[in-house]
Amino acid sequence: MVMDDKKVLISDDSVLARKQLKDILKHFGCSNFLEASNGQEAVNIYKEHNPDLVFLDIVMPVMDGVSATKEIIAYDASADIVIVSSVGTQAQLKNAIIEGARDFVQKPIQSSQIQEIINVRFGGH
Amino acid sequence: MYTQVFGNYLLNTGMVTTDQLLSAISTQSSAHVNLGTLAIHKGYMTASEAERIFILQTHQDKRFGELAVEQGYLTPEQVTELLQSQVPGYVLLGQVLIEQGVISATQMQNIVTDYCSEFEIDDLEEYEEQSDLVHHLLSDIDSEDEDIREYINEYLLLLFNNLIRFIGDDFTPLNVIKIPEVPTERCTSQSLNCSSFHIESALDMEPAVAVAFASRYAKDEFEEFDEYVRASMEDFLNLHNGLFVVNMSNDFSMEVTLEPPVTQDDSLFSLGESTYIFPIMFPFGIVHFICSVHSKE
Repeated sequence: MVMDDKKVLISDDSVLARKQLKDILKHFGCSNFLEASNGQEAVNIYKEHNPDLVFLDIVMPVMDGVSATKEIIAYDASADIVIVSSVGTQAQLKNAIIEGARDFVQKPIQSSQIQEIINVRFGGH
Repeated sequence: MYTQVFGNYLLNTGMVTTDQLLSAISTQSSAHVNLGTLAIHKGYMTASEAERIFILQTHQDKRFGELAVEQGYLTPEQVTELLQSQVPGYVLLGQVLIEQGVISATQMQNIVTDYCSEFEIDDLEEYEEQSDLVHHLLSDIDSEDEDIREYINEYLLLLFNNLIRFIGDDFTPLNVIKIPEVPTERCTSQSLNCSSFHIESALDMEPAVAVAFASRYAKDEFEEFDEYVRASMEDFLNLHNGLFVVNMSNDFSMEVTLEPPVTQDDSLFSLGESTYIFPIMFPFGIVHFICSVHSKE
């Protein structure tokens, strides 16, 4: 599996959450990252760079993850979006899946969850 | 949880100083409980019998269990059982204090007896007692509303469990301080609202303590107070409050909303009369949890 050529967009208003997810993804061979701190930024970056995989936090300022999912899917129906869900956001998670998100991971993120997502999409590491 | 409350009890009874407790807690994680401590804990030997074996060990190259069997204090079956038993944290804390010369084995035995008697505990290992112990710790909180008291109890029991889960169990909650205004250093706060109450919660600590706290939380090695450390404090508070929101919904059918966390440096945190500081002592320093609860009815 060659992960170097895969572009991964990470959108979370927490700089720590972005760093932790990036550290885990690096461990599985990813090196090409795009970052956004809110949903609107994520939509703009998606339209400009067409990443292979998108991680979207649900609760973000300016535009939340559910709305961002809706906008990205409207632009590109094949977009591969994984929702990152915190405790207490189960209702929004359901909405994000309805809007077209393909998968979700629960915070605090475990390395094994990300490994499974990578394996399913890009084959074994 | 009772290990942490036990540390608080030791401080309040004047048996140990803050520095002695901190030193013992720091050593605790690398210490191993010895058979003598276990035998006293299980009630198979008295403290003076164990001390006699310890003295014999200085003259003979034999294991504690071997000598205890020879002296008729333990059976071989009891030694095997003790070697296979699980050790409660407070037993280890007591042993470290004994080894550091802060208290004697007899004093430790008496302290545990008094502690169980005061808290009306038959068996310290019973999980169900945790809530009562925390309730006792929070007895200084004065709210006329019984429901509010119950919510505060739930909120803080969850906090202690989350500290154990995400930061570490090597802490001791110091006594609660009631204060209307709190001068803070590195402070992260978050509001919770529902139809019957409003909770203002905050974490405050010195920058160096925040770096150590964040390093544990994020399982990373931060070296200075930076954006990652700040984000870790926000993340922990947000996670804790988020879990409380879920529990309130599941257990009390109460919908609580959460505001985004806010951070500020060197400010005066002013919340009114019903504001409490919960100083929580870790080996790396003291974390101040600030909580203010106001009934809306």
